[in-house]
Amino acid sequence: MAETMLKVEGINVYYGKIHALKDVSFEVNTGEIVALIGANGAGKSTTLKTVSGMMHPKSGSIHFMGEDITHTESYRLLPKGLAHVPEGRRVFLQMTVQENLEMGAYIQKKISDEDLENVYKHFPRLKERRKQIAGTLSGGEQQMLAMGRAMMSHPRIVMLDEPSMGLAPILVDQIFDIVRELHAAGTTVLLVEQNASKALALADRAYVLETGRITLAGTGAELMSSEQVKKAYLGG
Amino acid sequence: MIHFLQTLISGLSLGSIYALIALGYTMVYGIAKMLNFAHGDIIMVGAYAAIVAVFQMKLPGLVAVLAAVLVCTVLGVTVEFLAYKPLRQSPPLTVLITAIGVSYFLQNIALLIFGSEQMASPVIMKLPALVIGGVQIDGITWGTLAVTCIIMLGLTLFINKTKMGKAMRAVSEDKGAAELMGISVNKTITITFAIGSALAAIASIFYGSAYVYIRPTTGAMPGIKAFTAAVFGGIGSIPGAMLGGILLGVIEQFAKAYISTLWSDAIVFGVLVVVLIVKPTGLLGKKISEKV
Ligand SMILES: Nc1ncnc2c1ncn2[C@@H]1O[C@H](COP(=O)(O)OP(=O)(O)OP(=O)(O)O)[C@@H](O)[C@H]1O
Ligand SMILES: [Mg+2]
Repeated sequence: MAETMLKVEGINVYYGKIHALKDVSFEVNTGEIVALIGANGAGKSTTLKTVSGMMHPKSGSIHFMGEDITHTESYRLLPKGLAHVPEGRRVFLQMTVQENLEMGAYIQKKISDEDLENVYKHFPRLKERRKQIAGTLSGGEQQMLAMGRAMMSHPRIVMLDEPSMGLAPILVDQIFDIVRELHAAGTTVLLVEQNASKALALADRAYVLETGRITLAGTGAELMSSEQVKKAYLGG
Repeated sequence: MIHFLQTLISGLSLGSIYALIALGYTMVYGIAKMLNFAHGDIIMVGAYAAIVAVFQMKLPGLVAVLAAVLVCTVLGVTVEFLAYKPLRQSPPLTVLITAIGVSYFLQNIALLIFGSEQMASPVIMKLPALVIGGVQIDGITWGTLAVTCIIMLGLTLFINKTKMGKAMRAVSEDKGAAELMGISVNKTITITFAIGSALAAIASIFYGSAYVYIRPTTGAMPGIKAFTAAVFGGIGSIPGAMLGGILLGVIEQFAKAYISTLWSDAIVFGVLVVVLIVKPTGLLGKKISEKV
């Protein structure tokens, strides 16, 4: 049994009066790929934002590597090894591709050329455009940049919020390949996806989130064959 | 022709002072998304600091400049910490009113300490006048221009090339994403206030040298003009603040020289209104992407 890397216990999260997460508990073990699936508005992004300290729960707790991070400020989490590629990519649109990657390595003392080359090896398109302002990249390229930026800090775990959103099928495959490679290189992955079939096929384990509650949990294969999941997320 | 060139140079010089102050407004706006209306009063504090350092403590000129920079930097950071930081989640209007309150507070403290009588500023830079092709340029005029140009160049390099400068740009664009990179937004805001206040201190030395007499309300006029310059150039844009400040100074001096001393301020603000009608984001301002 692998050790628990991320342990979320009974968190309740609010946007003002909106109760977005209700007693949500789940865990991610070292070396796993865990998927979080659910319909629009289920609370997937809220879950990731709460783990990465962009929001804080009213009750419940979050532990990362055994440390209580429930109320830790967001900027202190990347140095601990927790990276979050947020919904909508959030690359710095007015900065160049290379500067975006440098920001990914902000916590490093020095930006290593090796790390930059590693990202460019995965995403040759970014290399060609490294002097270009990120705002001029296509959506797919921005997604690559967001993932490359997260790779720069060598996180223990990377949380990806709908990395395939709005991308052409061929790019979706490419993004999933990168997730696989990241994982093979030793990174633990927490993946939020609309594309449930692909996510479940990739994941060791998965959770289903419905209107702020976790309603199902199991291995990727188990959930794929579950009637409830088939109906709601796999189109039949 | 000589008169024209002289006016141009004094306009550039005055404008470079506005630019230094405008940089403080624009950087704070860019990073903290607030209008720090107490920024002008930092200039007044810097000018008094120089007066105390030179006339009462008998410090040499350069040390007095450093003292003014130190006082203003500490003051700017302290104001941010005590007055603005607790309001980080508050509506902009609350912050704006607080800034106006801080402005009155600083003016009244100065009134208590120094009284309402005006005081003479020390002359810190004693530079010889230059005569180029029949155009005479005062020492303070070219000195101001030279020093501010160096500072602006340095600041541009800092923002574009250094890690901290890039982090500041990242924060100004997207605070949440910057925090996810491990950048502390609070620390960045503190540094921004420190830099803005230090620039205001240097501006105060030049302003004092050019206008000589200082009183508790001294900061208001250069403050409002520098704010105008920041909006003129595109608030949030660093090159915009530099350009806006310099243009404002040039327009002001030409209006004074060729039209009317009485109407020069009205003309300056009139130009601003026209620019904002034609280009609402200011000369170099970017389209503001509304995202909260
Ligand atoms: N900033 C906000 N203010 C108020 N309510 C919000 C905010 N962000 C999200 N919510 C609400 O919280 C709930 C969960 O939203 P969340 O973004 O986590 O959903 P999601 O599962 O990521 O959905 P999607 O698949 O559409 O991205 C929704 O009901 C949403 O309306
Ligand atoms: Mg979402």
